[in-house]
Parts: sequence; structure tokens; C-alpha cells
Amino acid sequence: MTTNNTRDLLKEVKDIVTQCDRCGTCLTVCPLFDVKDIEASSARGKNNIARAVAEGGFPADAGVLEATNFCLLCRTCIDNCPSKVKTDEAMIALRQYIADRAGGPGVKYSALGVMMKKRNLVKLSAGALKVVRKLGLGGLVPFGMAPTPFTREQYLSRFAGPAALAGEAPVTRATVGGDAKVAYFQGCGMRMMFPEAVADTLAVLGAVTAPRQVDNVCCGLPHLAHGLREDFLALAKENISLFADADVVVSDCASCAGTLKHIGAYFAGDDAWREKAEAFSAKIMSLSEYLVKAGYKPRQRSAAKMTFHEPCHLGRGQGIKKEPRQLLSAAGEYVEMAGADTCCGGAGSFHTDYPEVAAAILEKKRVNIEKTGADIVVSECPVCLAQLNKAAQKSGGRFKVMHISQVL
Amino acid sequence: MINEAIKEKLRTAVGPENVLDKDLDRFGYSYDSSFIPLLPANSPELVVRPLTTAEVSAVMAIAHEHGIPVTARGAASGRTGGSIPVKGGISLSLDRMTKIIELDERNMMVTAEAGVRTIDLYNHCAAKGLFYPPDPASWKMSTIGGNVAENAGGMRAVKYGVTSNYVMGLEVVLADGRVITTGGKAIKNVTGYNLTSLFTGSEGTLGIITKVLLRLIPMPKARNTLQLMFPSLDDACATIHGMLQAGVVPASAELMDKMSIQAVARHRKMDIDPAIEACVIIEVDGEDEAALAKQAGQIKQIARGFAVAEVRIAASPKEADDIWAIRRGLSSAVGAMAPTRLGEDISVPRDAFPEVVRRIKKISEKYNLPIAVYGHAGDGNLHPSVLCDLQNPEEAERVHKAVDEIFAAALAVGGTLSGEHGIGMTKRRYIADALGEDGVVALKAVKQAFDPKGILNPDKIW
Ligand SMILES: Cc1cc2nc3c(=O)[nH]c(=O)nc-3n(C[C@H](O)[C@H](O)[C@H](O)COP(=O)(O)OP(=O)(O)OC[C@H]3O[C@@H](n4cnc5c(N)ncnc54)[C@H](O)[C@@H]3O)c2cc1C
Ligand code: SF4
Ligand code: SF4
Repeated sequence: MTTNNTRDLLKEVKDIVTQCDRCGTCLTVCPLFDVKDIEASSARGKNNIARAVAEGGFPADAGVLEATNFCLLCRTCIDNCPSKVKTDEAMIALRQYIADRAGGPGVKYSALGVMMKKRNLVKLSAGALKVVRKLGLGGLVPFGMAPTPFTREQYLSRFAGPAALAGEAPVTRATVGGDAKVAYFQGCGMRMMFPEAVADTLAVLGAVTAPRQVDNVCCGLPHLAHGLREDFLALAKENISLFADADVVVSDCASCAGTLKHIGAYFAGDDAWREKAEAFSAKIMSLSEYLVKAGYKPRQRSAAKMTFHEPCHLGRGQGIKKEPRQLLSAAGEYVEMAGADTCCGGAGSFHTDYPEVAAAILEKKRVNIEKTGADIVVSECPVCLAQLNKAAQKSGGRFKVMHISQVL
Repeated sequence: MINEAIKEKLRTAVGPENVLDKDLDRFGYSYDSSFIPLLPANSPELVVRPLTTAEVSAVMAIAHEHGIPVTARGAASGRTGGSIPVKGGISLSLDRMTKIIELDERNMMVTAEAGVRTIDLYNHCAAKGLFYPPDPASWKMSTIGGNVAENAGGMRAVKYGVTSNYVMGLEVVLADGRVITTGGKAIKNVTGYNLTSLFTGSEGTLGIITKVLLRLIPMPKARNTLQLMFPSLDDACATIHGMLQAGVVPASAELMDKMSIQAVARHRKMDIDPAIEACVIIEVDGEDEAALAKQAGQIKQIARGFAVAEVRIAASPKEADDIWAIRRGLSSAVGAMAPTRLGEDISVPRDAFPEVVRRIKKISEKYNLPIAVYGHAGDGNLHPSVLCDLQNPEEAERVHKAVDEIFAAALAVGGTLSGEHGIGMTKRRYIADALGEDGVVALKAVKQAFDPKGILNPDKIW
């Protein structure tokens, strides 16, 4: 994942996938296999296709690319795999290998990567929409369910898979003391799609601290996911500097927090930035993680029945599972839903590449939400919220979708 | 070769959506959980996924007419290459036949289609207080049809036996497509040859199992876990014999040697005294807490007589889980120690357990290959795991020799080639050593009677 050298990428793939014991445990947990039960959909299937490619059994052609693209990168398989085979990393590396042989990540990703670096565009969804239209990407807007024109959030939901990041994020070491300087990291998705939730996040944070607002730039996840690593590093440096004198940096977007927590690892070989990057990563917290550590008590206890959809980037990505549930239990009647941590099917470009499969995955989620009888499904990631909103529409208003800061 | 006309017939038989013929899709049905190399790929020409017995029957009739090899497949969790279509032809994947047809509570029996996952079957029965005891470690993914075809065992075999102890009857599609049923709900049944037993463990070479009728028992009301640490492997084994002789039959008794224990310790970042040579994990079950406490007390007493270093009796379900996590994490912990882990499966008379472990240690030294040994000590079934790098040709050579000698050691102490994983492809070379030439001839006669054209899972077992 750290190199663009084609030969090394294939070796990287091979080193990962030869660890697969072919036991088949992942077949029982992969959300894709659940809706399309052929071997090639499962982690076992994809890892062994990748292995065959790396060992010269299959050419790395369009069929193989198709097979490797058919992955939510949700990491559920890894969680359950006895050998902890990193299927997501193998798939990303193989995608990159095939893309490199075709001469780069493609015009689409490169151009969007440039656009994403521009802060004014980040703020102007309409402007972003225009650029996107110019690029001929209008057709990528999901079928009629985009609540606003093509936003940066939608861009994110489309182009950043949940697991462009290697492995679970390191544990936050920051302490939450009375005089700790707390800053808010505003993710692009939250900014564009859920400004009301951002206001609520600030209000909630305001109850325990005086959060500083910083005009931060993108966390860089979309760039990282699509072979624009240099851009990712440049954005990271800017954010590191912007937050230099904060003790704790809180984000209400699971993907941003997860990405920022990893930044330290990406500068391990950079003497000038290593320490600063590590220190930066060590002070990142997800909203619910911070609130629990700070002893936050919800503003009210409502009569609403709530359930939680656990974002891949929060639970598997950062190991934050208890905290949101604890907060929600204090804020209302909490019910756990079956498969709360199963990917909602949004997952990067996945839902536009495979709309039927993504819809089938979301459909299972909808059924599970309805089974809980909850009035509200809460999440902590704008990408999930956008996807869950489609389920809410389909349910005919039987439940609402809200960001966690809105119910606390 | 399956020509287009035959493919079309097969598509008509099961519906086009249940037939896969793209290269990459077929490749997915070319391997199982054995160490048979992935390449060159043993892809089937066609993957066919029937939904009903009638469809299986139609597929077999077509295959029989045209002499097409058919390899049955459940979840491909098999460890011996059983579901690999070595001769091409059809991979007949039963994994879409997933109905539990009947739970007959009064007779305490359940009827299920072959593709039902073992754990789903277990849970379905457990919800009614009924217990299906066979629990292969692969029960989350393996199918009940695959379990029957392999006569799978599990941790609870010492007290409750293996799959065959629960199979009452089967529905089987024969090589030419005819459908027979064997056995039934009558507990006593001596009408003719016992075909149910014959098909159980037949590894897909005699017929396609489409339905199974299984006997259930009442769910034990209470269970608890003990962990015993021994400075000597012999004393660990002696404790297990002592227990069984005293009439204390644990639900499971799992043994791990020093290398296995240290692998887990490293994997889970625990400290385990290097003087410990063996760890035994025991599950006891019974009517109530008092029954458990009595058994635990007896076991402790017996273990003391054999110089046990530490006895831990779980004080809570959480502690029991912690102890089992050591056993459950074993396979990956051992696997993490080397690029390849060649896990074998031999079975010996219980009293030969320490002897065969000693022989395996010698083999380990002779070929300079680490071999971790663990297994179901209660029933004499062990899994020696050779830690190696099969990509290194010189080492692979040594590994194969070591494995040959492990099998020879098992046979020498009166044991057998497989306790639960079957013969499949990986142990074919040894079968005559185990059964004798005449034994093999007798088995072949059975095969000939059921599958005269030799289309069912060719090149397996012998
Ligand atoms: C991690 C792991 C742990 C395991 N632990 C155990 C254990 O504790 N005990 C144990 O006994 N085994 C164990 N196994 C081996 C394996 O899971 C069992 O052999 C299991 O019964 C195979 O079931 P399956 O559905 O995957 O069958 P497959 O692997 O698909 O097939 C196995 C054989 O059965 C045949 N077959 C499958 N279905 C049918 C059918 N319906 N009709 C006719 N033939 C059929 C196939 O042709 C093949 O020969 C383990 C495997 C793994 C990977
Ligand atoms: S669970 Fe892991 S080792 Fe097992 S088949 Fe899946 S990826 Fe391979
Ligand atoms: S990452 Fe998710 S979608 Fe991809 S193989 Fe693993 S479980 Fe399946």
C-alpha cells in the first residue's frame, strides 16, 4: 500500500493472500456472499483469485479487476478470519496493480483528487457539482436518492471505500482533562450534507469543553484510496500544522477520525514529520469516544426508541463499539439491532458499480432496523447516514435517521 | 468435455442462474481447505447448484448418460481435497439446499437438506432444548451433508461420539439419478445391509446425499470447563485414562503439547511457565451444578495423583470462555508460526496416545521440522501440525517424508490414517497400508456396485 512499484504490489498481494488457509469461515460473515452466494464473492474466493494471479495462474485482466472491485472493504472477514488475512489490503493493492498497468488511476480519480484539495470547492457543493458535471460524472449520482446536488459528501461516499486504511487505528493516548485544549475537526461530508448535525456536535461539545473551530482541510481518505498518496500526505501536513496546539481533536465523522488516527503511520519514514504526525494522530478522538471519556451526560432523556448502526470505520476501524451504545442508552430507550456492525452497502464506489447488490445489503439492514421497532436509527458517519436515509425512505417513514450528536 | 447441448440440458434441469461457467467463477470451486496446491487449477467444467432432490436426480441422470464426472461439494471446508474436481466435469454444489424439513420433537429427530450449515442445524434444535452433539471445529461453515459424507467428528466425540452415531437415515441420489432412502425413524432396524452407515463417510464416491435424518438427545442443562497444566505429557494422558476408567466421562478433553501452548501464549501475549509440557482442557456437563462440581472434584483428585501442576476450574461462564479461547485460538496461533502449516489428522487407540506423540517428536527432530501436536485426547484423535514452508522445494521434500512417517507411526501403534478428515486426495497413497490389498479390493467392489461408470468423485480415496 505504500508503493506504486508494480512488482512490489504483486508481492504485497501474494504475501497477504498466501496466509489464507481456505477454511471458509469468511463465507459465513461476508455481507456480499450473503446476497450473492458464489465463491468468488467471498473473501476466500477473492483471496484465492488474487493468489492465482500472483502465482501466474490468471492474467490480471478486466475479469480479475471486476472480482477485486466486488468488495466492500468492510473488514468483517478479517475480524472473523482465524488467520487474520487482510483481504481489504490485498484487494486495494491488486486494484492498484491493475490500475498502474493501465497507466494510473484514471482521469476520473485524478481530476477529482485535484478538486478535492481545493478548500473553496469543498465548501461549495454547487461548485463541486459543476466540476463534477464538467467531468462527465453526473451519471454517478445515485439513482434519484441524492438529497441535494452532487456534494462533496457524495463524492466521498462514492470514492472512498471504508477501508483504504490499513488495520485498526491505534488507541488514542490523549487525556481528557479540565484544561485540555479541544478542537473540532469538521469533515467534508458533515460540512456539506449535515450542517445541522455539525451545529449539534458543537453544542454537545460545548457542554463539556470550549471546542476551538479550525478551518481544516480534507482528511485525505479519498486520495489515499485511489492512488493519490502524495495529495493525501500534503493534506495531512496541513492538518497537522493547523491543529498543532490542540491537545485533543474530535471528529464526528468515523471515516475522518479513523483516517487521522492513521496519519502517524504514514510518516514513519519521514524524519521531519514523524514526531509531529504521531503526536497529531495520538490526539484524535471520535465524538462518542471523547464524550464518554469526558463524562458527558445527554442533554435530555427522550421517550424515543433508538438503535445504532455501527460504521465500519468506527467499530472495526477504531474499536469504538461500547461508547456510542452507552451514550444512547443514557439518552433514550436503546435497542441493539441484529447485525448492527454489518456494512450498510454504501462503501465507496461500490453502490454505483453494483447498485443491485448494494441495495440488497441495505435492504437487510432496513429489515433489521424495522425489527427493532426503533423510531430512530443513529449513526456516527455521514456516509452511513446518507445510505441509511435511502432505507428510511423505503420504509415509508417508519424510522428516522439521525447523527448521534442530534439525539444526545 | 461437456458440450453446449449437455450444458443446455443441465441449465434446463436446475435453472440457468444455478449454473456457473465463467473461468473465474469455476475457479472458485477448484479448491478446498486442504494443502493441495491452487495451481494448476482443478477447475470443474461447470458448477451446478441444484435446489431440490429432483434436480439432483436430473443432473445425475444427464451426467450418467454422458459419462461426466461429478464431484459433490458442501462448503469445501474439507481438509483432504474431497470436493476438488480433479477430473473436471461437474462440481455439484449442494450449498443451496438449505431447508430444515422437520424437527420431530417426540421422536427427537431432525430431517434436513444436505446444504444446511451444521451450526444452523444445532441452533434450530437447541431452541427446542434438543442437542445435536457432533461439533466439528468447522461447524460454522461446514454443511451437514459434508459432515455425513466425511463422518466428521468434533470435540465432544469422547462422550457423545461422531456424526455417524446420530445418522438414522439418508436420502441419496445414486450415480444414475435414481433416488433411494436408507434407514428411518425406527430406532431398531436390521433390514438388510446397513446402507446408512455405508454412505456415511463415503466422501461423495457412492452417491449424492440430499437429505439426512438425525437423532437428537436432550440438551445437558449445565456445563463447566477445567484447565489442567502438567509438567509431563505422559501424566496428562494418564489423567485422561484415569478419569475415563473411574467413570468420569467429560464432554470433551482436549490436549495441547508444549509447542502448541507456547504458540498460544505468544499469540495472546500470555506468560506460560516453560516447564509446562501439556495442557488439558476439559468440559464436563450434566443435570445441575452439583453434578458438575462432583465431576470437577473427581477430576482434580485424579489429576493430583499424576502430578498436575495447576488445576483451574472456571468460576463463571466468562472464565470458561477464556479457557476455551485458548483452544479455539490454537489453530491460528500455530498457523502464525510458519508460512505453511500442514495439519494432519490421525487417530490411535487411546492408550497409545503418549507413545505416538513421542514418535512424532522423534520425527520432528529427525527432519528438523517443528511439529506442534494437539488433539482430542479423550478419543485418541490427534492433529500433528508440521510448521514449514512448502514453497521451499528442499523443505517440502522433508515435509513429505515426515508426514509419511507420521502415518506409519499411527498405523504401527494400531491407529488409522484419519480420525475425522477422511482420505480424499491427500491420503490415497497410504490407504493400502491401512486396509491391506484385500481390504481395498473389497471397498472397490462396493464402489463398482454403486457407480459402475466411475463418475462419482473419481480419484478419491484410492
Ligand atoms: C478450520 C477447520 C476445522 C475443522 N475441524 C474439523 C473437526 O473438528 N472435525 C472434523 O471431522 N472435520 C473438521 N474439519 C474438516 C471439514 O470441515 C469436515 O470434513 C466437514 O465435514 C466438511 O464439510 P463441507 O460441507 O465443507 O464438505 P466439503 O469439504 O465440501 O466436502 C467434503 C467431502 O464430502 C463430499 N460431500 C459433500 N457434500 C456431500 C453430499 N451432500 N453428498 C455426498 N458427498 C458430499 C465431497 O465430495 C467431499 O468428498 C475442519 C476443517 C476446517 C477448515
Ligand atoms: S476466513 Fe481467512 S483463512 Fe479462512 S478462507 Fe477466509 S480469508 Fe481464508
Ligand atoms: S472486506 Fe467485507 S465485503 Fe470484502 S470480502 Fe471481507 S467481508 Fe466481504
